[in-house]
Amino acid sequence: MDHIKKRLKLSKTDVTFSVLNYLCFAIFTIICIYPFYYLIINTISANDLSAKGMINFLPQQLHIDNYIEVLKLKGLPNALGISVARTVIGTTLTVFASAFLGFMFTQPKLWGRKFWYRIIVITMYFNAGLIPLYLTMKNLGLTNSFWVYILPYVVQPFNIILVKTYVESLPISLQEAAEIDGASFITVFWKIILPTSKPILATITIFSAVIQWNSFYDTLIYVTDQKLYSLQYLLYTYINQANSLATLIKNSSGTAMNLMGLATQQTPTSIRMTVTVIVVLPILFIYPIFQPYFAKGIMIGSVKG
Amino acid sequence: MNRRKGYENGGKSGMKKKLKLLCVLLSVTLMSGTFAGCAATTTETTGKTTAATESIKTDSTETAATTTKSELTGAEKYPKFLTVDLFDGLANYQGIATGWFADVVKEKFNMELNIIAPNVAGGGETLYQTRSAAGNLGDLIITGADGGRLQDMVTAGLLLDSTSLFAARTNISKYQSAVDSLNKMVDGDSIYAVPSSVSELSPTTPSEGLDLTFGPYLRWDAYTAAGSPKIGTLEDLLPVFAAMQKAVPVSDTGVKTYPISLFKDWDGNMMCLAKQPACFYGFDELGFVFAKADGSEYQSIVDSDSFYTRVLKFYFNANQMGLVDPESTTQNYDTMFTKYQDGQILYAPWPWLGQAAYNTTENKAAGKGFMLASIDDMKVFSYGCAPAGNRQCISIGAAAEDSERLADFIDWLYSPEGIMMSCAQTMASCGPEGLTWEMKDGQPVLTAFGEEALVNGDATMPAEWGGGSWKDGISQLNYPAVLSLDINPETGFTYNFKLWDSVLAANTTPLDTAWQTAMKAKTTLEYLQNNNQIMVAPGCAFIAPAEDTEIATLRGQCKAIIIEYSWKMVFAADQAEFDSLLKEMQTTVKGLGYDKVLAVDMQNAKDQQTSREESVAAAKG
Amino acid sequence: MAAGGYNMFKGNSFETHIMPENYTEKKKKTSKLMFLSIVPFLILSVAFSYFPLHGWLYAFYDYIPPLKLSQCDFVGFKWFNLLFSNSTQVGQLMKVMRNTFAMSGLTLATSVLPVGLAILLSEIKCKWFKKVVQTMTTLPNFISWVMVFSVAFSLFSSTGMVNSFMQNMGWITSPTKFLDSDANVWLSMILWSIWKGLGWGSIMYLAAISGIDQELYEAARVDGASRFNLMRHITLPALLPTFFVLLMLAIANFLNNGLDQFYVFQNSFNKEHIQVLDLYVYNVGITGRSPSLATAIGMMKSIVSVTLLVIVNFASKKTRGETII
Repeated sequence: MDHIKKRLKLSKTDVTFSVLNYLCFAIFTIICIYPFYYLIINTISANDLSAKGMINFLPQQLHIDNYIEVLKLKGLPNALGISVARTVIGTTLTVFASAFLGFMFTQPKLWGRKFWYRIIVITMYFNAGLIPLYLTMKNLGLTNSFWVYILPYVVQPFNIILVKTYVESLPISLQEAAEIDGASFITVFWKIILPTSKPILATITIFSAVIQWNSFYDTLIYVTDQKLYSLQYLLYTYINQANSLATLIKNSSGTAMNLMGLATQQTPTSIRMTVTVIVVLPILFIYPIFQPYFAKGIMIGSVKG
Repeated sequence: MNRRKGYENGGKSGMKKKLKLLCVLLSVTLMSGTFAGCAATTTETTGKTTAATESIKTDSTETAATTTKSELTGAEKYPKFLTVDLFDGLANYQGIATGWFADVVKEKFNMELNIIAPNVAGGGETLYQTRSAAGNLGDLIITGADGGRLQDMVTAGLLLDSTSLFAARTNISKYQSAVDSLNKMVDGDSIYAVPSSVSELSPTTPSEGLDLTFGPYLRWDAYTAAGSPKIGTLEDLLPVFAAMQKAVPVSDTGVKTYPISLFKDWDGNMMCLAKQPACFYGFDELGFVFAKADGSEYQSIVDSDSFYTRVLKFYFNANQMGLVDPESTTQNYDTMFTKYQDGQILYAPWPWLGQAAYNTTENKAAGKGFMLASIDDMKVFSYGCAPAGNRQCISIGAAAEDSERLADFIDWLYSPEGIMMSCAQTMASCGPEGLTWEMKDGQPVLTAFGEEALVNGDATMPAEWGGGSWKDGISQLNYPAVLSLDINPETGFTYNFKLWDSVLAANTTPLDTAWQTAMKAKTTLEYLQNNNQIMVAPGCAFIAPAEDTEIATLRGQCKAIIIEYSWKMVFAADQAEFDSLLKEMQTTVKGLGYDKVLAVDMQNAKDQQTSREESVAAAKG
Repeated sequence: MAAGGYNMFKGNSFETHIMPENYTEKKKKTSKLMFLSIVPFLILSVAFSYFPLHGWLYAFYDYIPPLKLSQCDFVGFKWFNLLFSNSTQVGQLMKVMRNTFAMSGLTLATSVLPVGLAILLSEIKCKWFKKVVQTMTTLPNFISWVMVFSVAFSLFSSTGMVNSFMQNMGWITSPTKFLDSDANVWLSMILWSIWKGLGWGSIMYLAAISGIDQELYEAARVDGASRFNLMRHITLPALLPTFFVLLMLAIANFLNNGLDQFYVFQNSFNKEHIQVLDLYVYNVGITGRSPSLATAIGMMKSIVSVTLLVIVNFASKKTRGETII
């Protein structure tokens, strides 16, 4: 009887907990989704209604002109290609570098381990300023080159820290066993650490991919060749172009009358919203791709004993 | 043991492949990184040919409409096709210029322009700083000369000494005095840049055209519905606003109307919208100083009896009366603009806000729209024509290829043909003869195409111009070489079509006629001049000198305080709070070092006045 | 063995017993080889992070970009002293630092939330629900702060949805000033920050959880552990190493709150409490003609950050027995 009572008691708290859990998550998810939903319905509703703040729950007067306008942007396919290329190549290299360095810094045999680790981590806390950085890139010949999108991102201290922490939590016996069999550190890395680190590798892949996909500031500073524009930067200039009219009006003096015709153009806000939606949509697809790697229950325990 | 081996065997082939791939990738990376340094990158360096192909087009149909002189142009005079990097601080477009204007440029000069526009590229001053630090700003440079920038560019060796080049060009030489006064700012006797918006008109002529930059523009329908009450001085506007709000209580979509709506986007040295009404009384800002157009008064804006404080009090009282849009504190320009479009706001300090938003053809036909109202004691500030031009200028880069061609291009921009063609976005020049306008009975009139393109906004270019849209093909340089108000020597009329009699006669909507009858004048300018309610600040050669970095920093801190307290004062709960905030603001900025900055601004204002007087004297003599 | 599997990597224990004679030689060789293998990456790091540091020289000059450094005036410590030059200046700075400390403090305090989220999320059994929640909660991270403000404006402005709703319900008579009031600025800023970063921040903890050995859970359940016991004794300890590392790194970032969030929400009415150091630097327009002042401030911030890092590392050694880096 006691035994059964105990089980029932567990069930009750379990149930309340579960219900609360699901409920809270549902609410939180809605709070997260709503703003994005708001952006979407505003971009597909009539722009003037949207500007007046009348579109809050349901779209009205549907149209997709905002998106068509973006598709008409000059250089869009090329920019898309560049962004995809940098995301794929950049992420691969960054993940490889982070994984390798994260692993290497767990190896006590590494000469000067602590010192080099600190050297790399500290770089997160200072920056030299825009102009010296630009001049460095120029001297290295990276301005107006595709590699300016890749090389500076290869060594990411944050990722390295994540991998290192993760590897340190793996059972030491894994590596020991391999080394007894005569494996070199490279083999250990390739055959032992990488396969068992899938969750953290998936994590830093997502992080790196998102950083690569979203960055535009590097294009802004280092690139003037239109063929190398990233997608984000193209969209950013699209927004700026709409905005700069207002700045124009402010800076001109004495030619007020002639500006009249200009002030009636499309609102930058609708443009911004459209761009946000376009940029976020691909990210939505990344997570499902990496879901399998987050699956629980990698049988590390099989190595024990 | 088995499990361990299992790891090795199971993943062996897959692992090996991956390893190979990654090794290749890695070595390629490292190699390319090294080669990238050695490889010559193309667009980085200036003016080199991207395509060695010579475009030998027949120089005929494209420029058929304009009167071509029978001299060599295009590919015959300039055999090498160039892509010219143009760093343009005014442009709203980035990339290779396209459209009918670009085609004309290609025809005449066998070159295309790659516009580098900080406005579009983003990052504010970043682009200028990085490019200039790297030693090459561009082949052609359009930027402001103030703040010592012209001298900086010369010292850094970014500009080409163009003394002989410009002296040999007729159109530029026409404005020699303007060129000289601009280049006086630079050490030495060389000429580096040509100023924009140069003019041959008298400095005391208003340069804006029919409507000035500032003015108390009211919703005329609301004003007449309230009985068109007399407005003696600024504060009399308050009861008028209240009456207008009562007369028109809701907007076109049924939202509550407000006479006043503010925004914070353009707050610079002070709360932007608190400055505007001061301009109705002949003041303009220079740093922290309000200077009267005729030099009779200089005020420090934080003084308790300054006009700035007077306007803050005006807004405060308006807010107490419920006349100010409560969203003013958090909204931005776009949101506010849509409110104007909706008819929710009843007053605008600028014609190009109220009129652009609300004076549509339908509204004007219904007698609704923004028109100038008269405040009896106002003297609206107007910018006079500047023979010495404006502080935006154009210059040739030091490393430019074929500087002769670029000098010819600049010269063309200052020629009548160039002026007419470069319908810059902020100019209203008439466009090419024969296409958008023609002479009829000794008067210039717009053609049907001109009506569509210039008045209605857009039209399709005829085939001989290459098709495409008019609007998209307008010069993307956005550079007003000569003031559009100037007289075209070839026709005897202004370049600006909006001043032509034929165009003016078309203003016959109910709104226009109602206003014209009430004010007894055809245009805003005419009214102001008739009633002596305009004060023209003579155009002069004054350009603000380079500012000490310390002063600039102090200015930054002071203006942040001024802006913050100004807003708080407008929305203060009562007079007591308003007064205490004012005191607090004054104490804080004085403590930060405001007086140091004020001294600099006062000196600049006085120098500007001297320059204005000189300009007037020079014009007379 | 309950805590087994989580040994920190403390060096080889079998060295002294089993290894062959030339082990030390081999060890030295491996050691050098290992070093060589990371050299390319070190070069990259040095090239992009350390080499540009020569730009810190600009902080001692009145550097005006088109000119070469040699053409500019040397000013020594002028920029470093500027912000402390008189009492009003210092007063301004104190207010800004107070705001910065408050925001950073709140951020550190709430940094434990992603851990909680990950743990609770891993308790969800329904697979599709979990997937949806995981993906959707990361959405706010990608909406730029400018857009967030647009949404916030439409929700919380005087005629926004929330005010309209509350007025319709009769709860209030006149609109509440959410966005342009000085009250609860820090609270609202941290709430927005949590909303934006929670989902995304929990990703790495979810990754750590999926790395936990399932057998541990089985064993514990057999021993009669409740759900909460499992969470407390198995899941949580798995996340602690990562959490502590990130916490300590965040402490070193104390002065860097970022610009975007505070810039879009600031207006004259909440400026008193919203202006953190990064925003203050921007507002004062220090990024004007001369980048020198900005460089000087950047330098000072970097030095503070590295110092904090060293202190925290030391404290960690004293309390937890090992350093963070």
